[in-house]
Amino acid sequence: MNAFEVRNLRVSYDDFEIISGIDLDIPAKTCFAIMGPSGCGKSTLLRTFNRLIEINENARVSGIIKLFGKNIFEIETSELRRRVGMVFQIPNPFPHLSVYENVAVGPKFNKMVKNKKELDKIVEWALKKAVLWDEVKDRLRERASNLSGGQMQRLCIARALALKPEVLLMDEPTANLDPISASKIEELIHELKKEYTMVIVTHSPSQASRIADYVAFLYLGKIVEIGRVEDVFENPKHELTEKYLTGRIG
Amino acid sequence: MLRKLKNSLFLIYIVLATFLVTLPLFHIIFSVFINGFPVILKAGLSFLTETLPPPGEELAGIGPAILGTFILTFLSSLIGIPIATLAGIYAAEYPNSFFSRATRTLLLVMIEFPTILVSLFVMSIVVLPMGRFSAIAGAIALVIVMMPYVAVYTEQALKSVPERYREAAYALGLKRKQVVFRVMFSIARKGIVTGFLIGIAKAAGETAPILFTAGGAYRTFFIGLDKPVGAIPLLIYDLVQQPYSNYHEIAWGSALILLIVFLAIFIPVRLSVREVKL
Repeated sequence: MNAFEVRNLRVSYDDFEIISGIDLDIPAKTCFAIMGPSGCGKSTLLRTFNRLIEINENARVSGIIKLFGKNIFEIETSELRRRVGMVFQIPNPFPHLSVYENVAVGPKFNKMVKNKKELDKIVEWALKKAVLWDEVKDRLRERASNLSGGQMQRLCIARALALKPEVLLMDEPTANLDPISASKIEELIHELKKEYTMVIVTHSPSQASRIADYVAFLYLGKIVEIGRVEDVFENPKHELTEKYLTGRIG
Repeated sequence: MLRKLKNSLFLIYIVLATFLVTLPLFHIIFSVFINGFPVILKAGLSFLTETLPPPGEELAGIGPAILGTFILTFLSSLIGIPIATLAGIYAAEYPNSFFSRATRTLLLVMIEFPTILVSLFVMSIVVLPMGRFSAIAGAIALVIVMMPYVAVYTEQALKSVPERYREAAYALGLKRKQVVFRVMFSIARKGIVTGFLIGIAKAAGETAPILFTAGGAYRTFFIGLDKPVGAIPLLIYDLVQQPYSNYHEIAWGSALILLIVFLAIFIPVRLSVREVKL
């Protein structure tokens, strides 16, 4: 079963084409990495999966994207974004809210809970899932901005998980973290992919090889190569892929 | 050596310039206090509650003007703040649309607009058809004066929130209304509330907009929205033009009350709205 099926996807900003006709399938409950050099369209591609791209008035999208067989452009954006969670490159917990409120904000505003008890339960569950509970269980009322960078990013993962999504999109989730915090996030991704479909954008081939089952190499808005990680890394079929993996481009 | 000298001269120049800029503020506060405080002390609490005395020795009070200022400020805030906030949100949320750009330019023009013209405008559309000055005419003129401040501050405050929080809110499935009012508004609250306060302070302190609209009533308390109403700035303007010494004293006392009202609105709220650390 595929979580996403993408056909002839094109995305442009102000008539400048960023994604030029992409086809790809993302199998469910795997970790799928999209790698490529800066400016190749990775983040743009990721943002079409939850239609976050549409908050930019100048973006134009055409083509087909199906989420578990259903056209995402026929799903209401708020429902789609509940089902397809997202974590960003710069940890962005809401600075005016506490640790608890940051996780609670999604279920509360999407009316997923009936009372405070249910909400408490979801918050605890999500923080445990993001391996953050032990570190923050006594700091739930503190401002989220008091946490460390790595804790903030795990808080953002908990915030996304609290909506009980089917897919989790991650846009270079470790790019702004120190190596120890980054490795914690990678371990977490390993755990999460057992239950969720993970789509991760990274500019680092080594990270893709560590965490992903499948990988797509994106270059200038087109997919150059796509396949199982071991196949792409051990036997790249395309010269560009080989150059990228050996550090000659990017 | 020469460079050091130049540096010191520049520093002296800046300090002097800063001093000159802030000097009027301190002078105003000082002189209003020195001249106004003895008047209030002499008149006692009745200065706040009694009506304006006839020319002569008596001080009595400025009760109707104080009440009038509160009514005009309250009324204009009630009408002006919600409309202006929505205009500010519109300008911030749709930055590229033609109407949004036009709104922004018009708001900036309105801020610079001579307030006496606002007064004339409201006189022609409200006072003349009604046949008399009124509280509602004064409030409408103040609404026009305060709105651009509130709208521009709201817009700027919302725009200063980093894009990543807006994206995070949308990514959680929040609807546009929730993103704006529940997330962006809370993050930007200090800037927005500052805009509200500046608008309220404008409404409480402006004289020109109410010159041809509110009418001024100092010997009777508020009797209705369609009847003339007094206000502290208007009262000061009227009194200093009179040849009676007790009126001049009352004007100083009124100035101190106006200053206190202004500081009382501004300082506590400014301090109590916690800034969100981004």
